[in-house]
Amino acid sequence: MSSLPSSTNSDTRAAAGRALSTGRVLTVIGLLAVAAALVRAIAFTGVEAVQGPAQKIMYVHVPSAWCAFLAFGLVGICSGLYLWLGDRRLDTFSEASAEVGVVLTGLVLVTGPIWGKPIWGTWWQWEPRLTSTLFLFFLFVGYLTLRRAMFDPAERARYSAVVGILGAMLVPFIHLSVYMFRTIHPRPVVLNPEGPTMPGSFVATLLFSLAAFTLLYLGLVTTRYGLGRLRELREARDVAAA
Amino acid sequence: MLLLREPPDNSGFMIAAYTIVAVVLVGYSVMLMLRARREEQRETGDGRRET
Repeated sequence: MSSLPSSTNSDTRAAAGRALSTGRVLTVIGLLAVAAALVRAIAFTGVEAVQGPAQKIMYVHVPSAWCAFLAFGLVGICSGLYLWLGDRRLDTFSEASAEVGVVLTGLVLVTGPIWGKPIWGTWWQWEPRLTSTLFLFFLFVGYLTLRRAMFDPAERARYSAVVGILGAMLVPFIHLSVYMFRTIHPRPVVLNPEGPTMPGSFVATLLFSLAAFTLLYLGLVTTRYGLGRLRELREARDVAAA
Repeated sequence: MLLLREPPDNSGFMIAAYTIVAVVLVGYSVMLMLRARREEQRETGDGRRET
């Protein structure tokens, strides 16, 4: 394989630089927004009468889950587009989104049991929503491991695109699992056919937190994408030098 | 007669969850920025050698 032409090199370098600058700004704004959401949840949102303060874990658990599903959904879409168009940037974005998605799914899997212990009386239940989310986490850890184990960029992109699409297909299944199976996991409180099932102030805090986490996801994925583009350049140079 | 019950005091769980979320998100963001900076520095060095 030959090295990239120098004009392509400088274009890629410039694009990576732009992604990193934008990503850093968005990440800092996203972190500040998440901090504001936590302050709003703790100090300016009422305590739920039955569940107590533990109910406020929902303001970080639900947005983490939403962003993780968004991240893996985008992995599936970009992986499909990569197999169709063969554009390397789609593969780089898929990798970035998968990594951020794994971090967010980790948060979902940690905050869920912390809420479950005082409310359900147990840290974990092997029920459909929790178990399928754990599978999703392992599947994308496998996706990232697969990428590290393969050295040919084209082959790596092709195989991981297939795994990415298969993993993303779990997302709608996980979302609908509370309707499809008998489960103790609560049903969606905002996105349900009868409308929000919480007081307005709770919904407002949840939506604010959703926006903050989405902003942070965009910052993290843009930064990680820029990093991936720089690695592409190094990889092409290493291959040319070998 | 209507009995009003106090909400349970389980704020420790909320504080634990919020602390973990804050540590993971800040930690991952900082780690990502450091990785990006290292890669940029490496790229600048390699780019100079290339020219």
